[in-house]
Amino acid sequence: MKLKLFIFLSIGIGIGLIFSLVTYYGLHKTSDQKFCVICHEMDPMVVAYREDVHGGAGKLGASAKCVDCHLPHDNILKYIYTKARNGVVEGSIHLFGDPSKIDWIEKRAHRESFVFDDGCLECHGNLLSTQTSSKQAQKMHKHYQSLKGTDKEIHCASCHIDAGHQNMRNTLNYYTPEFEIMKEQMKEKKSEIQEKYQHYGIQKEK
Amino acid sequence: MKQRAQNIFVALCLSLCFTLLPLTLKSGEVTSSSPDLKGRETVTMTQEFKEKYPLKRVHAKLSLECLFCHDGQGNNPEAFKAVREKTCLECHGSKEKIAQRLDFIGKPNPHNSIHDGTRLSCDECHYEHKASINMCAECHEKEIATNMWMRKTP
Amino acid sequence: MADITRRNFVKLGALSAGMVALGESSLGASVLDQKGVKYDQEYDVVVIGSGFAGLAATITAAEKGLKVCMIEKMGRFGGNSIINGGLFAVVNSPKQKAEGVQDSIELYLKDMLKAGLNMNHTDNLKVIAARSADALKLTEKCGAKYYEKLSHLGGHSIPRTYLTSTASGAGIVQPMLGYAEKLSNVTLKNRTKFDDFIADDSGRIVGVVIRENYKFDMKALDDHAENKTGETKYIKARKGVILASGGFCRDTFLRNMQDPSIPLECDTTNQPGATGEVIMKALELGAVPVQMSWIQWGPWASPDEKGFGTASNFNINATFRYGITVDTKTGKRFMNELADRRVRSLAMFNVIGQDQNYPINICDQAAVDKIIPDLTAKALASGVVKKFNTLDELAAAYKMPAAELKKTVEAYNGYVTAKKDTEFGKPVHGVEGVQINKPPFYGTRGVPKLHYTMGGLKINDKAQIISTKTKKPIPGLFSAGGVNGGIHGASRLGSCSIPDCLVFGMVAGENI
Repeated sequence: MKLKLFIFLSIGIGIGLIFSLVTYYGLHKTSDQKFCVICHEMDPMVVAYREDVHGGAGKLGASAKCVDCHLPHDNILKYIYTKARNGVVEGSIHLFGDPSKIDWIEKRAHRESFVFDDGCLECHGNLLSTQTSSKQAQKMHKHYQSLKGTDKEIHCASCHIDAGHQNMRNTLNYYTPEFEIMKEQMKEKKSEIQEKYQHYGIQKEK
Repeated sequence: MKQRAQNIFVALCLSLCFTLLPLTLKSGEVTSSSPDLKGRETVTMTQEFKEKYPLKRVHAKLSLECLFCHDGQGNNPEAFKAVREKTCLECHGSKEKIAQRLDFIGKPNPHNSIHDGTRLSCDECHYEHKASINMCAECHEKEIATNMWMRKTP
Repeated sequence: MADITRRNFVKLGALSAGMVALGESSLGASVLDQKGVKYDQEYDVVVIGSGFAGLAATITAAEKGLKVCMIEKMGRFGGNSIINGGLFAVVNSPKQKAEGVQDSIELYLKDMLKAGLNMNHTDNLKVIAARSADALKLTEKCGAKYYEKLSHLGGHSIPRTYLTSTASGAGIVQPMLGYAEKLSNVTLKNRTKFDDFIADDSGRIVGVVIRENYKFDMKALDDHAENKTGETKYIKARKGVILASGGFCRDTFLRNMQDPSIPLECDTTNQPGATGEVIMKALELGAVPVQMSWIQWGPWASPDEKGFGTASNFNINATFRYGITVDTKTGKRFMNELADRRVRSLAMFNVIGQDQNYPINICDQAAVDKIIPDLTAKALASGVVKKFNTLDELAAAYKMPAAELKKTVEAYNGYVTAKKDTEFGKPVHGVEGVQINKPPFYGTRGVPKLHYTMGGLKINDKAQIISTKTKKPIPGLFSAGGVNGGIHGASRLGSCSIPDCLVFGMVAGENI
């Protein structure tokens, strides 16, 4: 009886371990732009990201992954759920919908819903207590803290509108011009950046 | 019977709202102060001042307070002076950075146009407590009116 | 500008009357006596205005080692110069040499006097002709860049016009501003308004009263009279003051006083700050006014949009050059579309008449193919220029007799083939054989708008302002650019304002 229990336990732990490992590597391998770009409509986002310090444009070349900022990190279940939901929703738009209809420029107004503060604070945690940042930064970060938990709560992305994706609006315009009159100009720019970022899986249009 | 219960429920909700309304109005009258200025100047932001000096939508969303910009100007909003671009740039970085954000517009980029480069003051066009204008419309009226290469000045 | 209605203008008149009444009590105080003035700041030179003239004066004076302060009442530096088209006529220029164009001071004078109806002060003109190449060098030193080829503008007998690489006067103003900013002995102040002169016992101008942190009110009917913003400061100008404050096309009161035939609500291509308060102050001092009532119209604008707009560039580059202008009532041409600005404007007003019968400027696709695509795209998107598949459609849209229009076009095409316009004398030999026959066709309503005040102050060849009282220069007072008058006479040819401003700015800086 005891032996049976032991075997079951061992198998259970074994399965659990394998499952965890698979999950771990699975999550790990599916966290950077090379994976995300398979389903998500994000060519301009990748380009703007590569131009940003968060995408490795800094001196050290260190970079954050998509999921570091775009998935919640406070709770593993929430993390997995959000990841799965986004995958299904956007994957189906990619396969069955018309991604070109998405107004990305307008979507930026809702950036607080897809950039998660705990992701930012994972690296920039000391920002809220540090004395080394500028006086203005300290002042505004204290303001951020004072509003936390109230109905006026603001988020990192409320102010840092371009963080993670340098010149996001410019790049989005190259893909889907806001102004009709710039269409031709933007096409040129688009093919320029497609050339430059080909090796990141950015497709050149035929 | 069901219909009646629903009506009673709606009536209850409405009356609750009306009783709570004066309370919410009163709570609008809060003392505002920036965190690092505690112990110094504070501005009592009454409903009246809020209506008289409304903030831009984006700034209101961030719950910015008077003294964030009118720092060191006392605590009487009536006596506040217009701030110059130095104050705007404390948060917005530099004129070059602002220009970069609209770089795709090219030659008519309002923050780096072929006419003025990055030289214009913010308040040539952007106003905080009243509607902004578009200086370019002096000569480019139709282009501005039809949003040909620029949206409404925020 | 368009919101100045006749009723508003009555108010404006009342306002001015009020000012006169106020002024009477303090008559004679046209200038502040230096005694009792406590200076807030001291400089060698104060320059009023920040366009081509102000910048040339500032840089030239500063490079002599003088401490210079340049003030600008608007928030925006550069005045009209920064919205100017960037065309710059240079006599005996390097590009003329390279292109094998023979030019001379005499030929330049001949062209200018013809357009100016011989009313020009040739003493000033000669200085501009002789020094324009130096002015060009000054701008290039500051970093201005120009297009490879010279342009040949209407009224000039040979090509002599440089065009800035940005096709705007800003292509000169911006590098010059950048250059001036880097000079340690130069102070640039925007939102700073000139209020008064300060003189010593001998009548020499030794300073100015200004207002700092002044903010021009775009909505005011008469900003100069109504706007009290800013803090008054007394500024010493040890060597003197240079006026470079430009013309007064946006000064409804002053231009109405000079020429009542100009409609009060008339639109202009000028920036809102182009008003005449500095000229008026100089006149109070005793400066000689010259040809103040000669105000030039730019014939290329549209009644369907404000200011210079999108139509002007389209007309300058396409319709006037490669097309025709017709009267909607007759479907016929009525002028040489490349005549000087005055001749064209008069002809157009003759057609417009009392019933606002705006003439139509017409060209075809071949003309549009010749110009920068951007100009056409903007003009079309604005809706001021319209596109038609046939001349019949165009005629119908503007309620023109189609048969007459087609006859007119046919005749014009004949002139282009023959390289001679026997009807109106348009120099069709220079239109590269472009006829009006390749659809689609383009049409736009035309109206002249106020562009340049020919009149102003009289200066000598050292840019000193001449006094009515002494008939000699007013000591310590210089001027350059649009604030001056009489140099171009009845009508100024295109691209002749930039050299005027730059040369006399330079001359003022040299002589102060």
